[in-house]
Amino acid sequence: MNFRTWVGAALCAAGLAAGAGSATAQTAGGTLVYIVQPEPPSLASFLSTSGPIGLVAPKIYDGLFDYDNDLNIVPALAESYEVSDDGKTVTFKLREGVTWHDGAPFTSADVQFTVMEVLKKVHPRGPNSFREVMSIDTPDDYTAVFNLENPAPYMLRALSGYESPIVPKHLLEGQDPRNSDLATNPVGTGAYKFTEWRKGQYVRLDKNENYWKDGLPYLDRIVGRFIPDASTRTAAMENSEVMYGAYGAIPNIDAVRLRDMDGFSVTTDGYSMINPMALIEFNTKESPFDQAAIRQAVSLAIDREFLIENIWFGYGKPATSALSTNFSATGLYKAGLPNYPANADVDAAIKVLEDAGITADGDGVRARAVLDLIPYGEDWRRAGEYMKQALAPIGIELDLRYEDVPTWLKRVYADYDFQINVNYFYQLPDPVLGVHRHYGSDQIRQGTHFVNSSRYSNPELDALLAAGAQEADAAKRSEIYGQIQEILAEDMPVVNLFEMQFLTVYNDKLKDHATSALGAYGPFERVWIEE
Amino acid sequence: MRYVVKRLLQAIPIVLAIIILNFFLLQLAEGDAVDVLAGEAGSATPEYMAELRAKFGLDKPLPVQLAIYLKNVMVLDLGYSFRHEMPVSELIFDRLFATVLLMTSTILLAVGFGVLLGLVAAMGLNTWRDTAISIFALITYATPLFWVGLMLIVVFSLNLGWFPTSGMENFAMFYEGWDRVKDIAHHLVLPTITLSLFYLALYTRLMRASMLEQAGQDYVTTARAKGVTENRIMFVHVLRNALLPVVTMAGVQVGALIGGSVIVESVFAWPGLGMLAFEALFSRDLNLLLGIFFLSALLVVAVNLVVDIVYSSLDPRIEVD
Repeated sequence: MNFRTWVGAALCAAGLAAGAGSATAQTAGGTLVYIVQPEPPSLASFLSTSGPIGLVAPKIYDGLFDYDNDLNIVPALAESYEVSDDGKTVTFKLREGVTWHDGAPFTSADVQFTVMEVLKKVHPRGPNSFREVMSIDTPDDYTAVFNLENPAPYMLRALSGYESPIVPKHLLEGQDPRNSDLATNPVGTGAYKFTEWRKGQYVRLDKNENYWKDGLPYLDRIVGRFIPDASTRTAAMENSEVMYGAYGAIPNIDAVRLRDMDGFSVTTDGYSMINPMALIEFNTKESPFDQAAIRQAVSLAIDREFLIENIWFGYGKPATSALSTNFSATGLYKAGLPNYPANADVDAAIKVLEDAGITADGDGVRARAVLDLIPYGEDWRRAGEYMKQALAPIGIELDLRYEDVPTWLKRVYADYDFQINVNYFYQLPDPVLGVHRHYGSDQIRQGTHFVNSSRYSNPELDALLAAGAQEADAAKRSEIYGQIQEILAEDMPVVNLFEMQFLTVYNDKLKDHATSALGAYGPFERVWIEE
Repeated sequence: MRYVVKRLLQAIPIVLAIIILNFFLLQLAEGDAVDVLAGEAGSATPEYMAELRAKFGLDKPLPVQLAIYLKNVMVLDLGYSFRHEMPVSELIFDRLFATVLLMTSTILLAVGFGVLLGLVAAMGLNTWRDTAISIFALITYATPLFWVGLMLIVVFSLNLGWFPTSGMENFAMFYEGWDRVKDIAHHLVLPTITLSLFYLALYTRLMRASMLEQAGQDYVTTARAKGVTENRIMFVHVLRNALLPVVTMAGVQVGALIGGSVIVESVFAWPGLGMLAFEALFSRDLNLLLGIFFLSALLVVAVNLVVDIVYSSLDPRIEVD
């Protein structure tokens, strides 16, 4: 039997030694006040992947793994893991001596309970991440054996404290996890303990003195502040009342100004596991976007670089495929596909329309439609205004519609009462986790948000998606995803616009806040403040 | 006393009608709390959403939902906010202190200075003082609140460093005792000034106009003919009568107190009820909204009663029954 073995303990020890060695440089103590916006509805990261929850909960809950900035696995609650030859058994060796914030010991029973009873049942993405997990054996307190129906290579990318937080069995057992006290009073194993949540003001976490990484965290306390107004957030950052704001908490227009000031910096690191993609969804069941040609024409007529430069202040990268270029690291991204120009190609767009017999009427109009815009801020509104202009020359006349969040969600995902919709999706660290939901026939799920609202259905593609999910061999997997991307570049049920780069703005006194691939959704255990 | 009881009894059907009207008004909004929660979560199965709707009681027919709500309100149970996972009364109570603090300091400042400025303007009619005060009132009345707030932040927080930009307390320090009181007062200054400026203009103009109107009345001529000094005429006779419209206006403002001010709360991240209601609307947290509306309605009814009583003590000619 040939096990692919990877021992994390050695690496971890090395990491700790490095941390201890340079301890003279770090200042322990202090309070980090950072921006959490908007105020989260709860802190139940095992129930919701809502952004603001991610800014707080991963400081309280650990995952089995963390990931470094190159997406390498870093051991967390799991010290090491082994995948069997057939890919159907994954064995995790768990860390000993870890305790929950209430003092109870952490064991393999917590892992089994979390995955089988919580994440697989009530987490929005858990049923997908762990869909192949049939059972989990716990031969002893510090070993968890995942028995899979089929190989699931993507699962190992979904084990962070943000994506799959490990929760305490003794506090949730016998209750409905959707309705538990843990949602507003979280108890984890992480670097910080939950202390207080003053609605409308802040959530306060204090240092976990018994944290399993010796000598960490450096900070005594972290406080997430809720500041509704974007200009005030910028002023608070400028006045050093807050030191850190991620996920566009400081709008790009102000971020570039702060970037040029002394004492502040801007980074796009810390978003590679989230992998956000701006895109257009089409209603492929209704005229006019039921024809692939007109969808291609839209993709050809939009100047992606213009959007990025003028609306997102240069932060972004033109999309060139259904997959983000961040998937080059795992070999899944395919370059050189048609229909994804960085600059608008109006002539090509008109040619595609003419060839398909979509002709202009007397006013030069080939199609009329309402463009829905994701109601997440002014940038999207401006993007809509640009698109209205950009598509007019090829004879597509758009009216813009900007509604509030519940109305928009219901329109697009429950009523399918839309024609063309601007949106963005997280592609996540593996296409199975973030991309399949857009295209699979099994992902046409009326009433479920952020899935296949285009209602695109292609048996050939479905077969490839299924094969890609289970293929353990990297080369074969890359081959399969290449074919998938070729099909999607022709059919274009969704047109990817650009790979978004969220901005993190921070005070230069704040150090080591970007040591995890999860960035702002990371554990923050090494963050420290320079005196 | 009998008058007060009578007024309170009359208020019951009014408040009931307000609740019912609000209830149906809020149903007109598309989507519900479950749509918002599921949307924020990134994805959720239809089964899960149906389960949530059952849990929130949103699956029942509307009249049943209304009947349940009314029944609970009768025993002063404002229900549960499923979004915040907290009882509505607790949520509102949490924000009440911040709201009352901001609104009382604002009303005191605005009424106090407004009356004073109006008085000064009226007494020096058409002098440079009058003109200066009128121009000041016009400018503050016409300037958008959010702009004033942001400019105050830029000048007094960023450039001069006198006041914090936002929030109600210093969250890096978590002061206790008197230090905390001082800290909160320090944070209160800019939002109070911002919100006061707007109302200040209203009271100034109202007071000035009212003073001028009263000064032309017959009773002033009579008093003057009797040989009463100008100062006594102004401060005892005219001022007292001129205050009536100001009291009416202040009553209206106190009635709106529960609503807070969305703009000022948003600009200064002040944790008041205005933002809570605003967010509740966008997350379709109907229990919470109805709770806030209900309290506002109670307050308006109570304040109207108090204003009527104050009238009668300011002007004994007004009888309350």
